[in-house]
Amino acid sequence: MVNKSVLVVGAGISGLTAAIEAAETGFEVFLVEKEAYLGGRVARMNQYFPKLCPPNCGLEINFRRIRSEHNLRFLTSAEVVQVAGQEGDFTVAVRQNPRFVNENCTACNKCAEVCPVERSNEFNYDLDKTRAAYLPHSFAFPTRYVIDGKACLGEKCGKCVEACAYEAIELKMQAREVTLKVGAIVWATGWEPYDAGRISAYGFGRFPNVVTNVIMERLASPLGPTGGRIVRPSDGKEVQKVAFVQCAGSRDENHLPFCSSVCCLASLKQATYVLNANPGAQVAVYYIDIRALGKFEDFFAKVQLEPNVTLIKGKPGEILEDGQTGDVIVVAEDQLARKITQERYDLVVLATGMAPSAGAQVPLLGLDDRGFVAPDQVPGIYGAGCVKRPLDVASAVQDATSAALKAIQSTVRRQLNG
Amino acid sequence: MADNSASSGRLKYEAGFAREVYGMENGSYLKLCMQCGVCAVSCATFKIMDYSPRRLFALVRAGRKEEVMKSNTFWMCTTCLMCKARCPRGIPIVDVMHDLKGLALKQGYVNYPQAAFYQAFWQDLAGRGRIFEGGVTARYFLKRGPKDFGKIMAQKDVGLKMLSHGRLPLRPPKAVKGKKELMQMVAKARELEQKGAN
Amino acid sequence: MAKKIGVFICTGCSIGEALDTEALARVATKEKKIPLCKKNAFLCGRQGAELIKQDVVAEGLEAVVIAACSPRINYDVFDFGPSTIVERVNLREQVVWSHPADDEDTQAMAEDYLRMGITKAQASELPVPYLAENMVKSILVVGGGLAGLTAANEAALAGYRVVLVEKEPFLGGFAGRMYKSAPSRPPYTDLEDTPVAGLVADVEASPLIEVHTKTTVARIEGGPCLYDVTLEKDGQPSSFRAGAIVVATGARPYDAARLDRLGYGRYANVVTGVALEDMAREGKIQRPADGKPVQNAVFVLCAGSRDPGHLPYCSSSCCVESLKQALYLKEQNPDAGVYVIFKDIRTLGRYEEFYKKVQNEGVIFIKGEVTAVSEDGSRNLSVEFADLLLGERAEAAEVDLVVLATGMVPSTVDYAEQGAEDCPAGNVPTVQQPVLNLAYRQGPELPALNYGFPDSHFICFPYETRRTGIYAAGSVRAPMDLAAATEDATGAAMKAIQCVELTSRGAAVHPRVGDLSYPEFFMQRCTQCKRCTEECPFGAINEDEKANPLPNPTRCRRCGVCMGACPERIISFKNYSVPMIGNMIKAIDVPEEDEEKPRIVVFACENDAYPALDMAGLNHLGYNAWVRVIPVRCLGSMNLVWVADSLSKGIDGILLLGCKHGDDYQCHFIKGSELADIRLSKVAETLGRLQLEPDRVRMVQVNIMDYDKVPGILDDFAERLVEIGPNPYKGF
Repeated sequence: MVNKSVLVVGAGISGLTAAIEAAETGFEVFLVEKEAYLGGRVARMNQYFPKLCPPNCGLEINFRRIRSEHNLRFLTSAEVVQVAGQEGDFTVAVRQNPRFVNENCTACNKCAEVCPVERSNEFNYDLDKTRAAYLPHSFAFPTRYVIDGKACLGEKCGKCVEACAYEAIELKMQAREVTLKVGAIVWATGWEPYDAGRISAYGFGRFPNVVTNVIMERLASPLGPTGGRIVRPSDGKEVQKVAFVQCAGSRDENHLPFCSSVCCLASLKQATYVLNANPGAQVAVYYIDIRALGKFEDFFAKVQLEPNVTLIKGKPGEILEDGQTGDVIVVAEDQLARKITQERYDLVVLATGMAPSAGAQVPLLGLDDRGFVAPDQVPGIYGAGCVKRPLDVASAVQDATSAALKAIQSTVRRQLNG
Repeated sequence: MADNSASSGRLKYEAGFAREVYGMENGSYLKLCMQCGVCAVSCATFKIMDYSPRRLFALVRAGRKEEVMKSNTFWMCTTCLMCKARCPRGIPIVDVMHDLKGLALKQGYVNYPQAAFYQAFWQDLAGRGRIFEGGVTARYFLKRGPKDFGKIMAQKDVGLKMLSHGRLPLRPPKAVKGKKELMQMVAKARELEQKGAN
Repeated sequence: MAKKIGVFICTGCSIGEALDTEALARVATKEKKIPLCKKNAFLCGRQGAELIKQDVVAEGLEAVVIAACSPRINYDVFDFGPSTIVERVNLREQVVWSHPADDEDTQAMAEDYLRMGITKAQASELPVPYLAENMVKSILVVGGGLAGLTAANEAALAGYRVVLVEKEPFLGGFAGRMYKSAPSRPPYTDLEDTPVAGLVADVEASPLIEVHTKTTVARIEGGPCLYDVTLEKDGQPSSFRAGAIVVATGARPYDAARLDRLGYGRYANVVTGVALEDMAREGKIQRPADGKPVQNAVFVLCAGSRDPGHLPYCSSSCCVESLKQALYLKEQNPDAGVYVIFKDIRTLGRYEEFYKKVQNEGVIFIKGEVTAVSEDGSRNLSVEFADLLLGERAEAAEVDLVVLATGMVPSTVDYAEQGAEDCPAGNVPTVQQPVLNLAYRQGPELPALNYGFPDSHFICFPYETRRTGIYAAGSVRAPMDLAAATEDATGAAMKAIQCVELTSRGAAVHPRVGDLSYPEFFMQRCTQCKRCTEECPFGAINEDEKANPLPNPTRCRRCGVCMGACPERIISFKNYSVPMIGNMIKAIDVPEEDEEKPRIVVFACENDAYPALDMAGLNHLGYNAWVRVIPVRCLGSMNLVWVADSLSKGIDGILLLGCKHGDDYQCHFIKGSELADIRLSKVAETLGRLQLEPDRVRMVQVNIMDYDKVPGILDDFAERLVEIGPNPYKGF
């Protein structure tokens, strides 16, 4: 008996796409996401290059597609722990971690109002705090609160339980295991920003005004910790002079030997964030090669023409801090100008690359030497998106669409042959 | 060997020198350089180098042997290893610099203060297995010839200061124990180097 | 016969505290004469939903009006099956969360919304899916290169019939001529055989794929599941029906003849990358001029690309292709001097490791700009260039072969003489090249974005197409390399399959996936004005010779732009129509002039502006309570008669909230918001004639993230209306 349903692991842009595309084609789909909300990394982005449009716009459409799609069921706060079987007949064990809030939640915010403890907000890369009872972010889908089990004081506090008029809070909620029977699996667990702290010469983690590109997205986002004001973490000062350091981790055998594909354009885009917030600001981009494929070249050309944007060919060797002012100093060889430069900035943004995030150790999932899901490993299991290779959003969506077809073929093939 | 100061006034790319460098023990690592420039500013002595390592490598590829060999870049390398640690292509830049020093000495690109100092240092060291600062200094200035004698006086304050701190012994130190064995090792190394070069 | 409707008012989430829900219920029961009106403190809870379900069954309700939270929330809870119409009245986000409690204006707002919701439910009918006879699910693939072969093969592997059409006598296309392809798998350092030969064998062996070589598409008419395709082979037509189409006609290399600056055409030893592939495949890379061996070679990257005088864009694949070809030379002669002169080396992702491998083989990379190529008496070439990193003029002399990495131009355009600028690919004059020959009112080919590529404008939806059911894939869509084309073609096959599956059950495709409604035309009143046929963003409507619209419902995306365009208001959906919205406007209770309570109708795009209003509510951002928001499928579906309806009803102002338009448009229906803007500009004149201030109608572009700005936009407009004074037609 061939199972015609598809499991999609990870509900970032790739997983969402693969799941929705398969479901809209008429297949039963289970979508499993480890966070409490769908959307993954792109939900934390401020704008997409090159259109400078908000990711929530496309996510809203995708969520609407989910709302109207009966073939698709999703599980949040859930992780795949085991996969067994073969193409057409996989048995998947999924652990759903307790959210402590059930479907009664109306997102009325009463629990957060009374919650006495705070937790670091990892959605904003720990730049701010939320209560232990919180909505992951304003556009969170599903629009339902979560209680951080680690921060919550538990039943001895129980203030939220009292405040909730809808019996939505279950502090006793336990993790539960769900078994899914599926015919094919799309693995779309995405990426994580490379740990910039490991690039010791760049001072991330030691100097507050050295941030990463993903943090920059939150700083620029109206939903972020600063309400969209791009300020220095050290003193909240509006930035006047910003440097972007490309290939911070990527194209580097000491870190990620591959190119992360998106950072050049991401930094050019973030340069526009800085200039939009403060047209008088100065932006410098330190690069090895600017990689703007296809029509992205137009965007590169446009940003390059901005009088306040300077491109410096030269990978910085070191970033220093002026302890007095908090200014950060970038030391680099300006190769085209043929000189060594030491420039002072308010803020340095490290264009940290994409490390694959394959998630659970599932033996059936074949990973390559760099931790990416390798092509053609196990029939019936397909990588999609950035867990396969570093991709921009549109390419990830394309890839996920193709993975959805591969998954469908798996179920059909078994049917034809078996 | 193409003359780079050709009448056209253009730098002529020529592959011979790059091949020569690639033939050295660590020279072929240079092929991997992607000209990112991180070495240029990771170097402890970048401020006094004629060319950054990155630029030096670009010159090697361009075939500009004279400029490369006459530069002070590799002589200024203090083998601090920072460049090697940071090089995103894993190039052992320090070892490449070492090879270039060897090439320079072998091919007679020695008419530079750094080359003279290296030679003086080595000759002094190889004699007894220990350094005699006075001996190195003397050898150095002898190598440089009369044109640099004027500089001796410029260094006198440093010398006197070192003397007063007991950092400048007036008599050569004793040779190391097992000087004979040391000499054998040096001879063997020379032999190997000779073989490797052919 | 009036529909059986039930109204359910939720009093949870502070609705009960903020509003007089008794009075609200009276709007339903007394005013609207709906006998069944229930209140519940927790309507989305199990009991609440159960309560509604029971009534649906017991009372035989055809429609339920749920006055609670936004329709974006609890969509699954309030789903009572396909035969029950559900109308949501957004009391929570857009009334009590964004307005003061216990307030007369807030109460009035809630009551109006309930009136409008009931009116809408009364006017709504269940859609009946459009199902035609002889709908088919087979896929037509145009182009038998790598992308076309892949699309055909992948669709067949999923069990779909495919007809593959190739104009050349053989399959394989551009990639089929290649000697090797760049690495596609770990360790990403080794050249591979191209996948083409294997694909050709698979395609030819597949029982589901019918291959037509030496064949072109002469004509395509109809729409998804109903495409009547006429092929032409040796002048002989043949026809069949197809369900969806993948266009994979590839790209052509940039015309090297235009690169005489680089010596092409003047010197035989200057060749293109394409020519080098031919030489490599034949196992002999030598000087074309005299057959002598190649000792020194120079690759010139961006030959035509990234060049405002030629192709301003990057052709995406040339860096990696040139690296690969540099290895051909090294493979043949390890001592060859191989130089690559580049602007930037663009080896994305894992290709970086390939770049390193090629360097390790001794290929020398120079960041530079070629200024001249010349030849000496022995036909040796000299390449002069600016060496950017050494900061000097430089030269590579005694070069045997110069390889130009020419970029790519989509096959849907061809070069033209200067002056012909039908469809410029960059700054090169080109004309459109017929590929599909669609019998469409809006033209025979896929509309293109910049440079002639029929790409999607959406980052989130790269397969969005302006010709429903027709998906471009591979290098015709955008410059891309082999690996990307393979993935792209697979994705396009997926979308084609999805399209036939949805269409064959009468459902819409992206973005209103699954929508069963479609526009119906009341032809008796049509004046043949052509607005609908011209304005449909998807070219769904043809015309007969008398200019009557001929709708193709399977091409329709259900945006309602035609409905907004029609001056005679003859176009309606079962659940979305001009009179329906008109009646909702009329349901608004407009206070007398002396009450000094203006009323504003806001038409909000349901994709972006409406969620932004919800977000404003979620964040408890207050705004003017005079507004009455009506979500529309797309601002392009706004019919001007609604403006007239509003003004004649005494509404003081009309505000349109729609998506950004222009070059970086965000409208999900391509140009809906732009069309609304154009229509509004025409309204201004009419208002002037009626002695009404044009300022009473305003359009603002907002995106979903502008929720923090939306309150200001509404308040500003309200202030302006106060300045203008009340609508003089109030009370008429």
